[in-house]
Parts: sequence; structure tokens; C-alpha cells
Amino acid sequence: MQRTIRFRLNTEEHTITPEREQPALDWIRNTAQLKGTKEGCREGDCGACMVILGENIEGKPVYRAVTSCTLGLSDLDGKHIITIEGIAAAGITPVMQAFLETGASQCGFCSPGFVVALTALFIEGGPIDYHHAITAIDGNLCRCTGYGSIRRATAKLIEAFPELPKDFATRLAFLAEKGILPQALADTMHTLPEPIREIVSTTKTLGGGTDFFVQNPDPDQELIPHYTDLEPHAQQIRLEDDRLIIGSAVTMRDFFASERIRTMYPGIEQYEQYIASTPIRNRATLAGNIANASPIADMTILLLALGAELIIKNAHGSSRSLSLQNAFISYKKLAIESEERIDAIMIPATTVRISFEKVSKREHLDIATVNSALAVEEARDGTIKQARLAIGGVAPIPLILEEAAAMLLGSRPTAERILQAAERAQAAVSPITDVRGTSEYRKRLVYRLVLAHAIRLWPEREEELLP
Amino acid sequence: MNYNTDSIPHVLGTTLYIDDLPEASTLLHAVPLLSPTAHGTYSGLEVSEALAVHPSVRILTARDVPGKNELGMVMDDEPLLADRKWHYQGEVLALVLAATKSLARKALTKIAILNITELPAITDAREAYAQGKIILKPRVQQCGDTEQALTDCDIVIRGRVESGGQEHVYLETQGAIAFPEDTGGIRLIAGTQSPSLVQQVVARILGLPMHKIEIETRRLGGAFGGKEEQANAWAALAALGAYVTKRPVKLYLNRRDDMQATGKRHPYSSDFTIGLSKDGTIRAFEAVFYQNSGASTDLSPAIIPRTLFHACGAYRIPNVKVTGIMCRTNLVPFTAFRGFGGPQGFFVIESAIEAAAHALHMDPMELRLKNLVHTNDRTHYGMRLEDARAEATVKRCMELADWHKLRASIDEFNSKNHRYKKGAAGIPICFGISFTKLMMNQGGALVHVYHDGSVSVSTGAVEMGQGVNRKITLLTARCFGIPETRVKVETTRTTTVANTQPTAASTGTDINGAAACIAAEQIKERLLLFAAEMLHTIKTELDFSNGRLVYVKPSDKAGQDTGYSFDDIVKKAYESRIDLSAHAFYATPDLFYNMEKEHGKPFAYHVYGCAIVTATVDTLKGTYRFDTAWIVHDLANSIAPDIDSGQIEGAFAQGLGWSTLEELCFSSDGRLLSNTLSTYKVPDAHFMPEMIVEILDTPNPHAVANSKAIGEPPFMYGIAGYFAVLDALHAANPTGTLFFDLPMTPEKALRYLDNLVESPATLKTHNNIEENQ
Repeated sequence: MQRTIRFRLNTEEHTITPEREQPALDWIRNTAQLKGTKEGCREGDCGACMVILGENIEGKPVYRAVTSCTLGLSDLDGKHIITIEGIAAAGITPVMQAFLETGASQCGFCSPGFVVALTALFIEGGPIDYHHAITAIDGNLCRCTGYGSIRRATAKLIEAFPELPKDFATRLAFLAEKGILPQALADTMHTLPEPIREIVSTTKTLGGGTDFFVQNPDPDQELIPHYTDLEPHAQQIRLEDDRLIIGSAVTMRDFFASERIRTMYPGIEQYEQYIASTPIRNRATLAGNIANASPIADMTILLLALGAELIIKNAHGSSRSLSLQNAFISYKKLAIESEERIDAIMIPATTVRISFEKVSKREHLDIATVNSALAVEEARDGTIKQARLAIGGVAPIPLILEEAAAMLLGSRPTAERILQAAERAQAAVSPITDVRGTSEYRKRLVYRLVLAHAIRLWPEREEELLP
Repeated sequence: MNYNTDSIPHVLGTTLYIDDLPEASTLLHAVPLLSPTAHGTYSGLEVSEALAVHPSVRILTARDVPGKNELGMVMDDEPLLADRKWHYQGEVLALVLAATKSLARKALTKIAILNITELPAITDAREAYAQGKIILKPRVQQCGDTEQALTDCDIVIRGRVESGGQEHVYLETQGAIAFPEDTGGIRLIAGTQSPSLVQQVVARILGLPMHKIEIETRRLGGAFGGKEEQANAWAALAALGAYVTKRPVKLYLNRRDDMQATGKRHPYSSDFTIGLSKDGTIRAFEAVFYQNSGASTDLSPAIIPRTLFHACGAYRIPNVKVTGIMCRTNLVPFTAFRGFGGPQGFFVIESAIEAAAHALHMDPMELRLKNLVHTNDRTHYGMRLEDARAEATVKRCMELADWHKLRASIDEFNSKNHRYKKGAAGIPICFGISFTKLMMNQGGALVHVYHDGSVSVSTGAVEMGQGVNRKITLLTARCFGIPETRVKVETTRTTTVANTQPTAASTGTDINGAAACIAAEQIKERLLLFAAEMLHTIKTELDFSNGRLVYVKPSDKAGQDTGYSFDDIVKKAYESRIDLSAHAFYATPDLFYNMEKEHGKPFAYHVYGCAIVTATVDTLKGTYRFDTAWIVHDLANSIAPDIDSGQIEGAFAQGLGWSTLEELCFSSDGRLLSNTLSTYKVPDAHFMPEMIVEILDTPNPHAVANSKAIGEPPFMYGIAGYFAVLDALHAANPTGTLFFDLPMTPEKALRYLDNLVESPATLKTHNNIEENQ
């Protein structure tokens, strides 16, 4: 039996008990019969199915763009879904107008997704500039325009709406006044529906589902997932003693936006744009990224370098801790039992400098050929007290290369030691060949990514380190 | 309106693509069972478990085909449904029908393929050629005497060039909905660039005359050639399902099946020999193109000549011999994709020129400029170039990019930076417009003026995002002198305009727009004659303008309004029993081609242009970014400049993707590895460089309204991206071995930097220049 859920679709409240779990996309198209949300790839890669998801985060309504093909229907309890029909309810909006005037819609199949993504940017109320606007559409593919006209549309919007009210309620009023949102829709966005929180016995715990629904595009009848985000504190990043506790429902987006994280790991936010895409980051959780146990998961690599530990909880509520480094047994297999799940991720609350490097065919929204992170804890004089080097894409599991990292400990590393570390790292891996690269290429990348880390952390070594 | 009103429903999300149309309650959903490997035989299918999934489940195989189980248009080598053997991974073995897509998918997983015997798979074109597995005969085009010329050259360079395949990634996947008709026929809504071709194929599959089959194409969510021949199977399968079950059947492929089962751009492997004088004048060029045609003939015989026609790029070469060989492999049947074999030809000649420039220590751009075609030159297939615009566009593009300053600034940057290196490259294009198959250069239009003055236009053109509906709307409105809002272009139907050709080869507007104008002119002529009689004047003194009937020169009342609107005249003409409908036909004039001699005038005209692209390489990681692209394009008198600039940028993006990012990967046993959008990456908003586009607007008398076709030519600009990265790599490693193996992935870039480029792609230079110097 599935759980009964309550959510809002555009301006309508729905209470439903779905027969089976399915991507929200299918329900929107087939049951609600709203056909403006398109199926382009069913794996979160094209953005044609983009919708805006409103949810309570820490008690406040937060609206963000997500791909509805990787969003579970029963995850919508207490949430608000806005589709293109909701945005278009009062006719052509300024976002649509900008697309029309610049010729940014050719075959039109991707257009609703782009409109949704840019509308979400305005609702979010962050800075409206070129960088943020392009980031907002980094999860949308268009095969017709070459993006020239889409960028011109974006530029027009930036020019027309350079600043947005900071306060959410004021912003909603502003967006309604400017026609970016229909007034009737904006009026519903101040509060979210009360979730039913029905307890049913579940068969699977999911975070955002952004990988699960890619692997299971048409889930079995029997699947009754439990989504972590309705649990208390699951969306929190909190400081406890000398550790940061990251709740199981903390998304990539919230992680990089967290002041705590940014302060503890200066500059870490610069890596966000190379990991997944805006709509995926808005939904994908760190816990889910780990639970998926991919050897190439970007967040896992970052967390490994940060020395993360997992808090594992079993069905009876008792918990144990497990270092992330020891959590991976074999390809896509974690050292946790089927009735256990990741309850939280702990990282030492120690300021470190971290470098993240990734090589993929496409720089944005692509799975890495090799990814790597190096975190160093430094004394005031530059002495390296602690160094952790994580590498993905070179073994069935993500790796921590202790020997290589050890070469960097002690006094500020010389070029010679760095080169030795790179050689050690290269020697420690034996990757396979697949669609993302050959084995020997991956080995050479490992060497080069260690150098890239070192150049970022110790820029003065650049000339000596370059091949 | 100053924008494409056709796009309004797109941005509102109200446009109905195939999967968005309302479904009848009796409709069955179809999913195809695909062959799991590249080559094999099987004894049959075990379907009892699948049928047990739900009472609505039906499974159709080759035995259910009432007519001829054949898709091939040139040769009978492409069954609709496989029968105990398959020749590529993704061949359709059976069609599963059920009340919901989910049930159909579930049933599909319960089918067992019995007694599979794996057979060896050929994936490489040269290997297929070595085994004698070729389609039809090789085609050879030549002029002059290359053998003699090469012995006279100061420098001769030989090389090998590879170019990979390319997935179309139309955002809307392939699909069709078939409805059984009470006439015993089938009506189809099909996602095809060629409704008439679908009609012909479905008629053959069902063993019915063509008039029993009606095809409607509403619009496509992208196509790019992928829905030309390759749309036939899905429409035919839906039609077969509807024919057998007597219920409507929808087949809409999911992305993975679409990527797995549908044809893509042909991979090529080619050898070239280029000979030059020491001053850089190209004297001779030879090339052999081994086209990886895939498992069946499909459109390969039409694509290979376009490669040969474009083998010399935009260059004047007096002695040429180019050979195209279609090699049959165990990969998906490769098919039409924007450029249609042209890009593969361009990449080889541009690689040869790049190699020659390096050997001669010349600026490749200067070498290109030196050898461009000029007006009255004859191509190697004997066509005289009228009004060549190669030099005009190249020179303007070099000016726009400030080429010499750009080169100097790049050199300066590279001398100061160790890790990051910049590179630049430019390529000219000269692309022939017309279907290379002569008979296809025809099209019809049907125009109705309703008695309220609103206008309906039907043609054979299919709207797929390229804006052909917008252009035909503007042309028709212009002809009648009425606002564009009074013209509606209808969906494309085989019952309104018959025997149409695919909307392809960039000719959509040239042919269909011209036919629409002829039809509109006929009606206008009748209206003006009628009005002249009514106003006691002659028709040459009247015209329609802004929806009004006005006096024009030579009338002494020229400029005055007659007091009647277009709508008034239409209403009165209707009441006077005047025919307000017209059908018209257009066949591109003056085309001829002798296939035996490979000589003639296969094209109505050529499109010219030039692109210069800059790139920055991170030599530590082997990754790159594109910085800027300057494009000067010969657009002539554009019918809709906003649409055409979108076509230029969009085609360039696809070309840049093909040249650098998009890597179609097959395993050595012929399985497609890049079968999802997470493993096959196309350009995104970050990837594309800044694009600065300028138009050369000299009129073209050979196309409707003095315009030029736009769809394919700008694709070739993307090739400049390959050479821009190569140029940057060369700056980082000046002694590295040049390689011409597209796409330029970061892995290949790093191989170059690490001196790991293998010998087959390198150049053997017979160089007597040193003796001469």
C-alpha cells in the first residue's frame, strides 16, 4: 500500500493515494494531464521535464527548479509543484516574452523547461547576473539554438530585472506585479500544504531519488519508498562538539550554500558548478550520493577528503558510526545492512583547505572520467598536519590514497615531494577502460590531478610542477 | 509581430507533440523488443510469460506483417521486424502492445529470445572493405590528372583522417500514433521529416495502396536528419499494430531505445594525398572515404556523393580524384544528419590543408585564403560557380576577428603562460544546395483563401524548429499584401499535398516556399483581374498592400486606396464564383547530372561563409574551452533574419559538438556504449563560446525571394573548433604528432600532450622542398 499524500499542483490542492510509486513526471503528464512538462531523457540530463518544487526547509517555504523525472511522486507530501501551466496561467510572462523576442524557442520542446528554470531563478531571489542565470539553466539542453538566442533572452531579463526584493513575501508581490508569476499562483506560495506524514512500512529509503529514478525509470509495483526529508533535523547542518553533522536530507545545494560549510572550508563553493546541475543539486542529497556507492560520485570524493564518517541507523533506531573510507565494499556496494540506512554524515569541524578536480568530456553536468579531492590541514606556518587525497573513477570503489597523501605531510611540500606524491597516486590505481576513458588515460589523469591540486593549494609551485 | 508567432505555444507549454496528444481509451501503447547484440541468430521468441502479464498484451513479429516486411528504399536489406537473425544491436525483433506503456515494458522483459547464436561483428569500415562487404559500387569523382600533377608538386603529403558518428539528440524522440480507419486503411500522426515516404513504406508493409494510408505530421521536436529515413520504422510498427488489433496504437520511443535503435551520422575513415607548389598553391588532391554505412543501405548511397561533392571544401583544385566506398558493418544503419556527408568531406580537406600549412610553415589561414574558389571556377564535378562568395566571406571574417592581431595576441599569451595555451583556426565553407538525387528537387503547395480573407497554406514542408512555417507564412503574406496574422500554415498531410519529398537538404523553404508563392500568385492574379473589372481598370494598376487594394503605377491614381480591403475583394470574388484555391508545383530548374561521368550541375547554387574559432587548453588536464567564434555567413536576402541567425548558431553548435565533445562509442563487439544522455554529451549553455555572427546579404536569384538555404551549411563551421584546439595543443607541444581524429576529446588532447599519438594518423611527407630551397 502506498501512503496518502497532500500537495499542491499549481493552485490546486490534491490529496491522493497513488497506486504505485512513479516519477512525478508521469503523474503530471498522465494523471493531471498537464502536457507542457516534457519527457526528454528520463534521467535528469535534459531539463525538458523541469518543474518548480516548493518545500519547507527549516520551516520556511523554499522554491527551486527540479527535474520531475527523478522526483518521486510520494515525495510530494507537504510540497508544492509548479509546472509551466501554472506559470502560464495568466498568459505570456516576461521570461516567455524574452524567449520570443530573441528567437530562443525553435522546435520548442525544451522551451517550457528553460522558462521554468529561469522563473525559478527569480523566485529564489538570489543575484540576477549572467553567471547566476547561466547556472540556472545548466541543467537544460537545447539542440536547436546553440544557446546564442537563449543567452540573449537571459541578458534581456537581467537588464529588465536587475534586482529583486530580498524578503520572500515582498518578492512574490513584485513577481506577481511584473507578471513573472500569475497573481493567483503567487498568492498560494506563502505557505505550503500540511504534509500528511502517513506512516507505512517502507521497502526502500531514498534521499532525493535523483539517481534511483535514473536506474529505475519505471519502478516496481512493490516499491514503497521512505523519503528522508520529512524527518526532523534531516535537512540541518549543525555543529556538535568538534563535528559538523549533516542530516540525511541535506542537498548538494544546501551543503554549498551553508555558511558553516563555507567558513570551515574556504572556497569550497567554487566546485559546486562542476557537480551535477542546478535542478539535480536542488534535490540530490549527500547521503544519497554516498548510498548509491558509485566509484565516481563527486560529493563522496569531497567528503572522503574531508574525513567524513557516517552515522548508520537500523530499523530499531540504534545507531553506529562507520568511517566513509571503510564504507565501500565493492562496486556499488556499501558496508551497511539492508535494514540500515545513513542517518547523518559527520565531518570534523576543522578548517582545512580543499581542492577538487574533475575531468569529464563536458565541463558541466557530466560524470567524471576521474575526480579527486585533496584536503590539507595546515599549521600557521604552512606545515601540513593532515592530508587526505580521494580519487574516484579508478577502482570499483572511491579510494583514499594514504601513501600518496603522506608524502605531503610536514613542512610546506616541495615540488619534488609533490611529484613523488603524484607518482605514488598513479602507481596505486588500476582503473578499467569504459565509455568515459581508457585505463591508461585515467592513470595519467590521476598523476595530473594531483599536480592540479598542488598548484591550487601552493600556487608558487606551478612552474616547477607543470610537465 | 517582429518575432516568430509560431513559438508562442512553445513557451506557454501548450504545443502538442506526439506524446502530448489526447489518447483514446482504446489506445494501445507499443514498445519494441530490440536485439541485444550486434550480430546473431535465434530460433524464435518465447512469449507466453509476457502474454500472461495482462490480457491487453499482444506481441507482433515478422509473421504478422501482411505485406512486404521491408523498410529499404534502395535495396531489400532492412526488414521492419527481424526474422531469426539480426545484424546490429537495436534491430526490432518484436513489437509489444499493451494498455499502458508500463504494462508493455513489463511484458517486454518477460520475452525470452530462444537459442541465440552469436556471430562475429564487424564494426570498422576498413575491415568491412577488406572483407568485401561493401554496398553498391564505389563512386569516383575526378578532374585533371592527379597522378601526373602529384609528381610535379613541390610537396606531397599523405595522411589518414577519422571522424566519429553523431547522435541526433532531437529532444522529442521518435514516435507515431496509428488509427485504424473504417475504410480498411490507416491514418497516422507521425514524427517524420517525410510524410510521403512513411506513406509509401506503410502501404508496402500492409500491402495496401497508398491512398489507403494517410499521414499527418504536425511538427517535430527537432529532427536534424534523424527523422528522414529513420522515422519510417516507428510509424510502420505503429501502423502494423493498429492494422492487426483494430485499435489506435502509439509508439513513442524512450531515450535509451531511441539512441540504441536509430541511425546516426556516419563515422568515416579516410586517406588523403595533397600536393602543393612551394608557394602554397594546391595542385592536386586525392582522397578515399571509407564510410561506415552500418548494417543496411538506408540513405548511404545518397550521402556518399555529397561527401564527394564537398571533398574539396571551398578550394580551387585543378586535379582531383575522390572515391567514396560504402562499407557494410554490424552497427545501426547510419543515416542523414545535418550536412549529409558534407562535414566528413570537409574535415578531410581541412585536415590536409592543416598538415600542408605545418609542412610549409605557413599560416593555415593564409594558405586557405590563397586557394579559395572564385567565380567561374569549375568544381571537380564540372559545375561552374556563379557568383562565388568564398573570398568575400573569408576576408570579412578575418577582418571581423582581426586575424593578424588575434594571432599576435595568442602568440603573446602563449609565450607568457605555461599551463594554459590558446589556439585559433578558421575554415571557409562552400556548400551545394539541392537534393543530390535529382528527382527529389520538387514540391507542391495548396493555398486556400477562405471567403473571410484568411489564408491557409499547405505544403510538403515539415516544421521541426527550423522555422519553415514562419518563412512560408511571411512569403505568402507578402505575396497577398496582407498581415502575416491572416496566414496559417497547416500541418503537413499526404492528402493535401501528395508525393512530397523529405524536408531535408536545407531545401525546405527553397522548394515549398517557392511552390506556396506560385499558388498564392495564381489566386492573387484571379483576384486582381476580378477587381480590375469591377473598378473598370486593368489589373497591372492594382495591387494589395497592408490588407488594402490600392492603385499602383502606372495608374495615375498610384498610391491611392481603392476603398476596398483584401477581405472585401475576396468576399466579392467568392460571391462571383471565383476559385479561391490553388495548387502549385515547383521543380528546381536547370539541374542535370550524369552519374556515369560524375559530371554536371547537381546544385542550384552554393552557400559560402567562414568561421574563426578560438580555444584555450588547460595543458595540465587536457581539457579545453572555446572562447569566441566569429562567423560571416552568406545568407543573401533573408526571409526571416531572426530565424536564420538561430539556424547559424544552432548548426555551429552541433558542428562544434561533433568536432570536439560528442563521442559515439561502440564496444569492439558492436554494442553502443554511449546510449544515454549521461554517457553521450552534447553542448550546453556553458560549452558554447561567444558567437559573433555577420551576414553577407547579396541577393541570390536562384532561390525564393532572393534568399539562400540555411539549415546545413553552418554546421561545418564547428570543424574550426577542432583545429583551434589542435592549434593550442601545438603551441604547448610544438613537436607533437598532428592528428586528425574527430571528436577532439580531452583524452585525445592529453595523448597529444603526452606524445602518445599513434602512427596511423601521422603524416608521411615526401618533401622535395628542402632541395629546392
